[in-house]
Amino acid sequence: MSLEALQCALVRLIADPSFRDAVRAGCLPDLATQLTPLERSRLESIAADRGLDVNRTLHRGFRLTKLRGLLPLTCEALGSRRLGAEATAFWQVCPPTSFYFLPEALEFCEFLASRRRLGKYVREVMAYERAHLELQRARRAAPPSQRVHFRHDPAVLLATLAAGRRPRSIPLRDCIATATLRDGEVEWQIEDTGPLSSAGTPHRLRSRPGALRSA
Amino acid sequence: MQKLPKVGVGLGFQAPLKGVFEDRHSDVDFIEVVPDILWTDLGPGHTPRYFDDPTGLALLRQARRRRPIVAHSIGASIGSAQRFDMEHVRQIRRWCRRMQVPWHSDHLAFHLVEEHGRCMNAGVTLPLPRDRATLGLLVPRITAVMRCVPLPFLLENNVYYFDIPCAEMDEATFLNRLCHESGCGLLLDLHNLYTNARNHGFDPGALLAELDLSQVGEIHVAGGMELHGMYLDAHSDVVPDPVWALLEWTLPRCPNVGGVVFELFGSWFEDVGETAVRRDLRWLKALWKRTQQHDRSVSLPTPVPVTHSAGIPA
Repeated sequence: MSLEALQCALVRLIADPSFRDAVRAGCLPDLATQLTPLERSRLESIAADRGLDVNRTLHRGFRLTKLRGLLPLTCEALGSRRLGAEATAFWQVCPPTSFYFLPEALEFCEFLASRRRLGKYVREVMAYERAHLELQRARRAAPPSQRVHFRHDPAVLLATLAAGRRPRSIPLRDCIATATLRDGEVEWQIEDTGPLSSAGTPHRLRSRPGALRSA
Repeated sequence: MQKLPKVGVGLGFQAPLKGVFEDRHSDVDFIEVVPDILWTDLGPGHTPRYFDDPTGLALLRQARRRRPIVAHSIGASIGSAQRFDMEHVRQIRRWCRRMQVPWHSDHLAFHLVEEHGRCMNAGVTLPLPRDRATLGLLVPRITAVMRCVPLPFLLENNVYYFDIPCAEMDEATFLNRLCHESGCGLLLDLHNLYTNARNHGFDPGALLAELDLSQVGEIHVAGGMELHGMYLDAHSDVVPDPVWALLEWTLPRCPNVGGVVFELFGSWFEDVGETAVRRDLRWLKALWKRTQQHDRSVSLPTPVPVTHSAGIPA
């Protein structure tokens, strides 16, 4: 039991700065009372070790890589400062559970969806990337198609972000984009729903994440 | 340690390095794969729990036509105090059978903990106390792995940016006892050793001189980088000179080693450059041939611990 408690404390030292600060200040939180005197002394010594900060940087870097790797356009739309703030807030409520990128990226989408004032385009972009990831999620049955409601022209919006530019004044376009998986590739179909709807034929698009283009 | 075949020079499997490991003329004798990245593990309690990555597997199957595959897992967290996941070990067994690997390995560390019933993954391998209690935890688990997967099993000496203080044993003694008591072999990561020595100020040569090198089944080399005044095992560069020196001293003294692997993260491949990667592989191959394929009856001088500035045994 004692080694279990020490290992939990070590992971918390890396993942949770408030816990690390408490240990550094000599205020051992509840978990630390389960340790032997030797383990308590080890924990205090490690909390003061500069190597802990390297582990913390690697830990954060790894988690951020997951988000940047699988949600590149959402990260771009957020901007680096807001991304940092949102990621930090996300990590406080969602400890890392696996090495895998996809579940963590989906969890981050869920977290972002619950946030207020995300910026003009973030929700649409995030919904688009989440749809891609949902289609790639490991499952036995064929994945259900995914629908994303855009209020701005998705081709212009996504191309702007994919080019590494912050979107400004993207034309309005009320449309539903539906993604399905065919032969391992995501196929998008866009249907205008607003007053500018091009009646009849929906656009068919084949795309990879970050590359939705006009037909 | 169970006997390993002499396979030669390996390269860590990373998709951007495809051109190198698919080239039949490159100096790569085998490919080392982290099997865990070629499946998705939904975690204990899910049925089915594991889903293959068809794209990664297809790439690997193609590569396997030319060269053998060795498995180097990251998932066991063999030092986790709470639990040891035998379902993961069975998945490793299925995968090793499928790829017909000659041996498999994992890390001498932990990364998984459980708090309030929820699993947490540190995302980095963390060190274990070097004491009798840790040996008591590890040895039965290693035995269980070796019973389940009937292949030689190696554990890699860990890189640690902080050490667990007040150790009962030094690292060489701990590794020697672990191998002797459990029957596993050592995956000696010389870049981890160099990184630890550089960050914690000890002589890597002295540690090597104390290590039972007959237990070494595989060697890793890599390059790293500086961060916040510490040196990182980042797999981000070619092999630095001090690691070459460690390898040149160590390799001829490892009678049972099956291979030497160069590790480079795919994301650094473009920066490092294909020419530099191929050059390191060529040098590894030459060293392997010189030390492992010639007359093995040649007696080597007894290693003498030295403490000169480069930290390399003479």
